[in-house]
Amino acid sequence: MQTQEDLEPTVRIRELKKDRVNFVLGNVDLAFANSLRRVVMADIPTVAIDMVEIEVNTTVLPDEFIAHRLGMVPLNSSNCEEAIKYTRDCTCLAGCSYCSLMLVLNVACHDDNTMDVTSDHLDLVPFPTDPEQQNPEPGEELTQRGELFGQPVGKHEPGVPPVLICKIRKGQELKMKCTAKKGIAKEHAKWSPCSAVSFEYDPHNKLRHTTHWYEKSIKEEWPLSDNALEEEPPREDEAFDFNAKPNKFYFEVETDGSLDPQEVVMRAPVKQTAPAAPAATSGGVSIMGAASKTASKRPCEEAGSTSSDDSLAKRLEPALRRVK
Amino acid sequence: MVEDEDNEWGQLNLTNWKGLSATDPIKSVEDKWLLLPAFLKVKGLVKQHIDSFNYFVDVDIKNIVKANNKVTSDVDPRFWLKYTDINVGFPDRNEESSVDKKVTPNECRLRDTTYSAPIIVTIQYTRGKNIVQRNVNIGRLPIMLRSCKCVLTGRSEEQLARMIECPLDPGGYFVVKGTEKVILVQEQLSKNRIIVETDSAKGVVQASCTSSTHGGLKSKTYVATKKGKIYLRHNSIHEDIPIVIALKALGIQSDKEILLLTAGNTDAYKTAFSANLEDAAKLGVFTRHQALEYIGSRVKVNRRVMGPRRPAWEEALEALATIVLAHVPVKGLDFRSKAIFVATMTRRVLMAIDDEHMVDDRDYVGNKRLELAGQLLALLFEDLFKTYNSNLKNAIDKVLKKPSRTSEFDAFNTMRMQGDHLTSGFVRAISTGNWSLKRFKMERAGVTHVLSRLSFISALGMMTRISSQFEKTRKVSGPRALQPSQWGVLCPSDTPEGEACGLVKNLALMTHITTDVEEEPIIRLAFMLGVEDISLTTGTEIYGPHTFVVNVNGTIIGLTRYPTRFVAQFRKLRRARRFSEFVSIYINHHHRAVHIASDGGRICRPAIIVENGRSRVTSEHIQQLKKGTMTFDDFLKKGLVEYLDVNEENDTYIALYENDIVLTTTHLEIEPFTLLGAVAGLIPYPHHNQSPRNTYQCAMGKQAIGAIAYNQLNRIDTLLYLSVYPQQPMVKTKTIELVGYDKLPAGQNATVAVMSYSGFDRLADAPLDENGQISKKYDIIQLDGLAGVGERVDPGDVYVNKQTPSNAADNTFTGQAASVPYKNTPLTYKSPVSGNIDKVMISDTENDQTIVKVLIRQTRRPELGDKFSSRHGQKGVCGLIVNQEDMPFNDQGINPGN
Repeated sequence: MQTQEDLEPTVRIRELKKDRVNFVLGNVDLAFANSLRRVVMADIPTVAIDMVEIEVNTTVLPDEFIAHRLGMVPLNSSNCEEAIKYTRDCTCLAGCSYCSLMLVLNVACHDDNTMDVTSDHLDLVPFPTDPEQQNPEPGEELTQRGELFGQPVGKHEPGVPPVLICKIRKGQELKMKCTAKKGIAKEHAKWSPCSAVSFEYDPHNKLRHTTHWYEKSIKEEWPLSDNALEEEPPREDEAFDFNAKPNKFYFEVETDGSLDPQEVVMRAPVKQTAPAAPAATSGGVSIMGAASKTASKRPCEEAGSTSSDDSLAKRLEPALRRVK
Repeated sequence: MVEDEDNEWGQLNLTNWKGLSATDPIKSVEDKWLLLPAFLKVKGLVKQHIDSFNYFVDVDIKNIVKANNKVTSDVDPRFWLKYTDINVGFPDRNEESSVDKKVTPNECRLRDTTYSAPIIVTIQYTRGKNIVQRNVNIGRLPIMLRSCKCVLTGRSEEQLARMIECPLDPGGYFVVKGTEKVILVQEQLSKNRIIVETDSAKGVVQASCTSSTHGGLKSKTYVATKKGKIYLRHNSIHEDIPIVIALKALGIQSDKEILLLTAGNTDAYKTAFSANLEDAAKLGVFTRHQALEYIGSRVKVNRRVMGPRRPAWEEALEALATIVLAHVPVKGLDFRSKAIFVATMTRRVLMAIDDEHMVDDRDYVGNKRLELAGQLLALLFEDLFKTYNSNLKNAIDKVLKKPSRTSEFDAFNTMRMQGDHLTSGFVRAISTGNWSLKRFKMERAGVTHVLSRLSFISALGMMTRISSQFEKTRKVSGPRALQPSQWGVLCPSDTPEGEACGLVKNLALMTHITTDVEEEPIIRLAFMLGVEDISLTTGTEIYGPHTFVVNVNGTIIGLTRYPTRFVAQFRKLRRARRFSEFVSIYINHHHRAVHIASDGGRICRPAIIVENGRSRVTSEHIQQLKKGTMTFDDFLKKGLVEYLDVNEENDTYIALYENDIVLTTTHLEIEPFTLLGAVAGLIPYPHHNQSPRNTYQCAMGKQAIGAIAYNQLNRIDTLLYLSVYPQQPMVKTKTIELVGYDKLPAGQNATVAVMSYSGFDRLADAPLDENGQISKKYDIIQLDGLAGVGERVDPGDVYVNKQTPSNAADNTFTGQAASVPYKNTPLTYKSPVSGNIDKVMISDTENDQTIVKVLIRQTRRPELGDKFSSRHGQKGVCGLIVNQEDMPFNDQGINPGN
C-alpha cells in the first residue's frame, strides 16, 4: 500500500478564466495547502501606488482620502518578481526607474456636468531621472517589463469599467504625481493580487474537523457545496476513521487583475524574496514627505506564513509545470 | 324541518360568502403609519421647542409688555410713556457699516457672533404738550433656528444649501457667540393643581397647590393635618391657620355651610372634620371679622412704602385676596370661588384620611408640566424688561428733575441711551445657562447646554431631552421608575445610566407639548353647554349624588349633572375645531369631577378617532394623503385624528392595531413604534432585545462616527468627527428614514464572524515619545503669519504666528501706536500626531476684533483599543487586528471585516 507521501502532488484545473482559476490540489497535506492559500493572498509581490505628491486638489475630498483611494487602484504587475526591485533593496536614494513607477493624474472639469475621475486618467510616465545621482548598478529590470506593466488594470481594454477615484464638478481640479512601488500584502492589503481566495476540503466533513450546529436536520441546514460531487459521500454505517487525513483541496483564486491567476498560483510555491516589510503608514499611502519618517523595519519570519519549505515547493513544481 | 336545519348548517359551513371567507382579514387602513411623516412634515422633529419659541415671540412677549406697559415719572406727573406694541424682527447683521444686512446662522457660527433679531417697541409718550408715537429698538433677542423668525424657515433644500445650512438639521437651538446652545426641556410638577400626599411615618395628610399667575408670582399653599386637625399653611403666614378660621375669613361664616362644603353628607368625613369646628369655637372665632383679625395678626407684613399702619383684618384680607392661592380669581372682594377651592382641598384631605388610596401620584405624567425655551425666555424677558423700565424711569426722572433745559425733553433720546441691557441679559443667560431672576425667586444653573455635534444623532437626541427638577441625590426610586403613563409620550428606552438614570428622559416620536390657550372662551363655552356657575351653589349641590364638578385648569367653575353628555358635546366641538385642538377634557370618577385643561406644558400625542367600532381614518383618506391632497391638519380639521393629553388618555380605550378594535374602542394608535423616541427608533428589531440593551444602545448610538450634517465641511468646530466612508444601514427602521439617518449615517455594514480566539482583550497606554522640550518651528508659516492650507503640522509647529502688545496690562497712554512693544504669542500644535491644515478663516467679530480660525485635520484608521459596537448595545474594544490571510474565511473566500 502506498502512503500519501509517496504520491506525487497533483493539480487539476477545473476552470481558468482571465481573472480566476479554480483547481483541485491533491496529495499534499493540509499545512501545505493552507500555506499556499496564505502565500497567494499575502506574499505575491505586486506594484501599487505608495506615495502621492499632491499639487492641486480643489475637490471636495481631502488629500489623504484621495491618496488612499489611489493606493487601492490595481496596477498591472505581471512578472513583478523580475521587472522591478524593492525600493529598500535598490541602491538609489529616493526611488529610481528600477524600483519605482511614476503615474500622473491631471484632471480638471470645465463643463457643467459632474465628472468622474477614474483610474483611466492615471497616465504612466517614464520615471524622472535625477541627474545628480547615477545608478551604479543598472539592472535587468527594465527589459523584463511587459508593455502594460504599471498601467492601471483595464485601462485600454474596452468593456472593463475603470475604478472611480473621485467625482469633480466645474472648476475643480486634481493634479498629482503618484509613485508606485513593489510590495507585498503583508505590509498593506493593497499589494494583494487576490480579491477572494476560496479554499475547501472534506466537503462531507468526514474528518470531523468542524462541528455543524443545526436545529432539526443537519442535511437540510448545511447544504453541500459543489465540491462534494468530487468525493464519495459517507455511508450511513461508516465508522469514523480518526487517522484519515485530508487529501484533496479545492481552490478558487480570484485576482484583482494586477496579475493573471495563473501567475499568482505559479509564483506561490517559489521561495519568495520578501525578507522584510516596513510598518504600514496611515492608509497605506504616504503623502509626500511622510515616507522618509517611516523607516522602521520588522522581520517577517512568522511561522507558516511564507512557504520556506523548499522541498515541498519542489514537490509541487512538476505538477504545476505539467498543467502549464 | 330536518332539511332546513341541514341547509342552515350547510350555509354556516360555506367557506365563501360574497367572495370572502370567514378567516379573511377585515379590510384595514393600509399604511396608516403615513400619518407619521405627515405629522412630522407639519411639526418637524423638534416642534416642541419651535412652537414654544414662536408662542413667546408672537403672543407671550406682547402679553408681558401689556402687563408692564406704562412708565411714569415721580417728578413730573404730566409725563407718561406707554408701550402700545412690541415686535421681534428678523435676524440681521448688527453692524452700522454693513451693506448687506442679511445674516445666516452659519455666518454667526463661523464669526462667533450671535444670531439675533431686533426687538422693536411702539411707544406713545408726552413731549411737552403733545403725544408722540415712535418705534424704538430696545435690544436684540437671540433667535431660535427654524422658528418663525428664522431666515431658514420655509426654505427649499436648494436655498438652504446656498445659506450653507443642512436641510436635515432640526433647528430648535440658538447660536450665541458662535456656539450652538440648547435650552433643555425642564420637567416640573403642574401648577394650580391640587396634589394630595400622605406621609405614613408622620401620619400627615396634606393637599398642596402651587399657584402661578401671569406676572410670575409663585407660592405654595398647603392644607394639612396636624394632630388630627386640619390647618391651612402658607409662606406668608407665620402660623398654621385652623381650616375653619381660614374658611370663615374667606366669607363662609356658618358652621353648617363649612361642614357642607368640606365634608358634605358623608358621615365619615363629618366625623373626621368635627374637631376642627370645635377648635375654631375654642379659639373664639365665630365671625368673619374675628377670623380676619386672627389671620391678620399672623400675616408677614413686608411693606416698603411707608404709610399708616393698617388694621390687622385689612392685612389679612389683602393676603387672602392676592397671595394665598393667587391663581384663583377674586373679583371685587368676592371670595366665593377661593373659599370653595380651599374647601375642596380640605375635602381631598378628608378623603385621603378616610381612604389612603385617594392620594395623587407625583410621578404620574399627567401631573407634570414641561417647561420649554419659550417659557424660560418669557420669564427672562419679563425680568429684563422690568429692570429696563425702572432704569428708564430713573433716567427720565434725572432729566426731569433739572429745573430748566436747553431743548424740550424727548424720552426717545433717553431710551436710545439705555444701552444694551436686554441684549446682554439674553446673551449672558443663554451662554452661561444661569437663569437667576431675583424678581421671580428663580435661581437655576445649567439650563442651557452646548449642542453636541458628535454625530447627527447626538444633536437630534439632545433636542428631545428632558431634564427633571428633582435632585439627583435623593434616594427615592419613584421619580426614576418607568411610569405606565409615559406610554407614547416619553421614550421608555432612552435614559442615561448611572446618577441621572430615569431623571433625564426623552420625548417619543409623536409627542407634542402644548402652549397656553386662553381659558375665558373655554369657560364661557362650558357655561353654554349647561354648566351651572359654582358661586350659586353650596355643599349640598356640589357633593350631591349625581353632580360632577367642572374644573378649568384646576379651578372649579361649576357643576354639571350630565358629565358624559357634557364631555361628549365638548369633544364634538373640539373635533369640529371650534376651539384649539390642544384643549383637553376628561372625567375623574374618583373625585367626581370633569377637568378641562388649556394650560401650556402638557404632554400630548395624536391618535386616530374610532367611532362605532370603525376607524374614522379610512384607506381613502390615506390615498389622499399619499397624493398630497390632504395634510395632517386636514385630518385634525375633519375630526379624524385628535390630540390626547396624558389625562385624557385615561378616558379613552385605544386599540393598538386595527383588528383589536371592539365596540367600546374610542381611538386607534397611529403606529406602535412611535412610543419610542428618535434615538431608540434607530434600533432594528428592538422588541427582540433585552430591554437594557436598548437603553445602552440609546446612549451609545450617539457616539458613532459618521456624517454630521450636509454642511459638515463648511463648519469650523473645536472638534469634528467625520467618517471617510459612512454607509447607510442595510437593515432600516421606519424611524431611520423619518429622521434622515439614512442620509446622514454613522457606521458601516460589517460582515461579522463570531468565534473564539486564544488571547486577551488588551488595552495599553500608548507610550509617548517625549524628547524633552519640543522646539517651536515656523517653517509652515506664510507671509500673513498663518500656516498654508494643506501644510503638514507636526507637534510643536507654529500655525498662527500671533503677537500681542506686551504692555496690555498697563493703561498708560504713550501716544505712539508704532512704538508699542509686541511679544510673540504663537499658537503651537500640541497633538502628538501630526495633522494637516484643512482650512484657514479670517474674519472679525461683532465688535470688530479680528478672528482667525485654523482647522487642522487628522486622518485616523482603526487601531488597537478603539471601541466598536453593533446597534444593540454590544460594544467592545478592539484587541487584535488580523492580517487578511489570517482571517477566518468560508468556502467562497469571504472574510469578515469588510
